[in-house]
Amino acid sequence: MDVRIHIHTTHRPFTNGLEVVSAEGNTVGECLNHLVKQFPEMEKALFAKKDKLLNTVEIYVNHASAYPNELAKPIKDGDEIHLVVMLAGG
Amino acid sequence: MLTPGERERYDRQIMIGGIGQKGQEKLKRSRVVIAGTGGLGSPISIYLTAAGIGMIRIIDHDQVALSNLNRQIIHWEEDIGKRKVDSARTKLKHLNSSVEIEAIAETITEDNVSRLMDGCEVIVDAMDNLPTRYILNRCAIEKNIPFFHGAVNGFEGRVMTIIPGETACLRCMYRGPVPQEKFPVIGVAPAVIGSIQATEVIKYLVGIGKLLTNRLLFYDGLRAAFSEFTVNKNPDCDHCGSRARKD
Repeated sequence: MDVRIHIHTTHRPFTNGLEVVSAEGNTVGECLNHLVKQFPEMEKALFAKKDKLLNTVEIYVNHASAYPNELAKPIKDGDEIHLVVMLAGG
Repeated sequence: MLTPGERERYDRQIMIGGIGQKGQEKLKRSRVVIAGTGGLGSPISIYLTAAGIGMIRIIDHDQVALSNLNRQIIHWEEDIGKRKVDSARTKLKHLNSSVEIEAIAETITEDNVSRLMDGCEVIVDAMDNLPTRYILNRCAIEKNIPFFHGAVNGFEGRVMTIIPGETACLRCMYRGPVPQEKFPVIGVAPAVIGSIQATEVIKYLVGIGKLLTNRLLFYDGLRAAFSEFTVNKNPDCDHCGSRARKD
């Protein structure tokens, strides 16, 4: 089982600069938990509280939005998860 | 009908397959609102004025400040302290005097948004905050006006085109309020994103190409890379779905 998680620019300081991190899990939530196990600082970058994503975080699986109920979305071997931060500037 | 001067002025774009004289006439008849005359509003308004849109309404409540000038290229040092819409209108009229520029120095709110968007076929999002973007998004859906979203941060940006009643809207992935913060940005990021928004507007008005509907285009300037993500219309969306207000 290998899932590639693409890390947003603003989060890379929490992953030692890595743009892509491998993770394991059967759902998006499990994969993110595995990511946090490897890089604990990602927890506050992604979650407002346990199992509740920050409102600024968007998740895409295989280049498609995982909204709503992102954390429950099933994941299979070879899938790609993109973590994206909402932008508001103009 | 185009005048001989207009045929000469727009010759290079009239040459483009799909635009032609008829497309140029469509642009000339078009009325566009650009909400915001900052980092995004600068390239959007400059390129749409250069392209020969008939009427452009620019809306911004702010005055030009020194800290704007790294990115808001329509404003210059001599404009510091002036109303942004006045500064922008002067430049746009110098660029293309035949384009009608309506300059409105108001803050966009739930109460005035419908009046401010009246009579226009296109709304372009050049705001610097999400709450006002959502006000515009809802108004665009309720008035059935296409909405061209763009946003930036740092070297990054994103673009999406919304056709009311047909495609996902800006609110379709809403999870809750986001804190408003001063955002970092370098001028080239809104230059890229604003230019794509202006491209989308021209494509829509002329009726050519494939719009950025149901897909978000992300730009990462540091990696010199674009990524595209599919987004879906949310049937339960509180702006365009079953939870939309009815009054």
